[in-house]
Amino acid sequence: MATSTLGFAVSEPAVGDRRWDALRRAARARLAPLGAAVLLAAVVVALAAPVLAPYDPLAQDLGNALARPGRAHWLGTDNVGRDVLSRVIWGTRVSLVAGFVSVAIAAAAGGLLGMLAGYAGGRADGVVMRLMDAVLSFPPLVLALALGAVLGAGLTGVLLALGVVYTPTFARLMRGQVLSVKTRDYVEAARALGASGWWIAGRHVLPNAATPIVVQASLSVAFAILAEASLSFLGLGIQPPAASWGSMINAGRGYLQQAPWIVFGPGAALFVTVVGLNFVGDAIRDGLDPRLRG
Amino acid sequence: MAEVVLRRLLATVPVLLLVTAGVFALLHLTPGDPVDAMMAESADASTKESLRRELGLDRPIAVQYAAWMGRLLRGDLGRSIRNGEPVLENVSRRIRPSVQLALLAMAISLTIAFPVAIASAVRHNTGVDRLGTTFALFGICMPNFLLALLLIFVFGVTLRWLPISGYLDPLEEGWSGLRSLILPAVTLGLALAAVITRTLRSSLLEALAEDYVRTARAKGLSEWVVIRGHVLKNALIPVVTVLGLQLGTLIGGAVITEYVFALPGVGRLVVDAVFARDYPLVQGVILLIALGFIVSNLLVDVLYGYIDPRLRRL
Repeated sequence: MATSTLGFAVSEPAVGDRRWDALRRAARARLAPLGAAVLLAAVVVALAAPVLAPYDPLAQDLGNALARPGRAHWLGTDNVGRDVLSRVIWGTRVSLVAGFVSVAIAAAAGGLLGMLAGYAGGRADGVVMRLMDAVLSFPPLVLALALGAVLGAGLTGVLLALGVVYTPTFARLMRGQVLSVKTRDYVEAARALGASGWWIAGRHVLPNAATPIVVQASLSVAFAILAEASLSFLGLGIQPPAASWGSMINAGRGYLQQAPWIVFGPGAALFVTVVGLNFVGDAIRDGLDPRLRG
Repeated sequence: MAEVVLRRLLATVPVLLLVTAGVFALLHLTPGDPVDAMMAESADASTKESLRRELGLDRPIAVQYAAWMGRLLRGDLGRSIRNGEPVLENVSRRIRPSVQLALLAMAISLTIAFPVAIASAVRHNTGVDRLGTTFALFGICMPNFLLALLLIFVFGVTLRWLPISGYLDPLEEGWSGLRSLILPAVTLGLALAAVITRTLRSSLLEALAEDYVRTARAKGLSEWVVIRGHVLKNALIPVVTVLGLQLGTLIGGAVITEYVFALPGVGRLVVDAVFARDYPLVQGVILLIALGFIVSNLLVDVLYGYIDPRLRRL
């Protein structure tokens, strides 16, 4: 219980209670447990890849190339005899890193730019938002391709390219939130008390604007994983012989008739992970912001 | 209405300037400079230097940008390093398969999405609805290239019903041309159908709960007349929004689809140019794609005004 300025006792849910409420709402989503299980499994597989992978993902065994799935190789082997299951397991790392890190880059950069635009207003707002509009004028994959060409193939290039591609979404969201929060009474009060702009931004605006950012981030991870796989499939992401689901699928498409398992092993892993992350994203959205429920 | 379009057009100008600056920077951010990309490493320094002077690369960057913009405004997007032909010629040769693919994919997606979404909404919370929503989820989560390979495996490799790659112009070759586009168009169309189904279903459900629907039913209209005459029209706005938002995804999907099925379209041209480090071509094609994207979004905004008269005043 807290006491209002008028002396009434008002009930104010504690922060802990609100978090529990959000978690309860999230868990109530029908498919949330399935999504959470898939995400947990993916994280465990990514972290324990050296222990879980039955073979070295790069070790070639030309005498055993294109072997069918069986006891020795559960998902078969590829055209140079590498164990597909081991490569799928190691590929989980690349996918999760690409998904989470590129979205983290975009959320940080977009959040900062959106806050600058919303809080500073005027010319800074105009410049930042036109810049974001310019980035949004490119189809995402085409922009990522062009940036990938400039930054060079590899994980770093992909992370930065996807980070840039997703930044405007977060910047727009954050700006909208900041514009609505900065006129609230408690921000006016902080300003009247002489608090600096940065202090107000960090103490009052950011925590209140964070919810939609978290929701958007959770929904974006699945798409970032898909985008990384697409870039790797096109040959701009992770370079062979390193294992990435997209590049494995691309390498296997030439053997679709003789050895479809080269494509469908990593394909199934990619599909299941993206479906699971979508369930988790939806559940987080329902938990944190029930108004956005579809 | 004209004022809205004009205002929207004016707002596009600074964005277009930034887009051109970004695309111009693309060429100058690449490791080395365009001359290094154009000539072999073994070419001697004086030849490279004279080409640099000829291309104006020795001048300040702002002057280079102004000169490039001047050429752009005259319709000169530069020349490909590989074949020496103007970028516009390269693109115009490739545009036909891309447009045919996009139109066919759009037709397939609408043909699938409308009945599925209507059936899902009308039979809300039944097996039909669950089937519809599962289809939407499947389409949204399935990567384009994986779906393409799955279709190739089933209809090309196993059943041998359809060609798995290559392109014949349907306008010249008729049925065999259309056959070469079926798998790529289904690949692209299914993903779009999934997004439209999801959006249309939820906006139909919202519209079905409105009072005017109850009134229409109370008048004794059949369910189909209610859906067609009252519900569908009001549920279309979010679908147009989604179509606008999905244009970028459609273009990206077309890049991958053309790559997988070896279709000689604009998407394939971008990928080939990136791999050949043909930077002027990459620059030109990406600028054209961005322009097309901006114009399409503008058209979507104008379309809102026609569908919903209330938006004309905004």
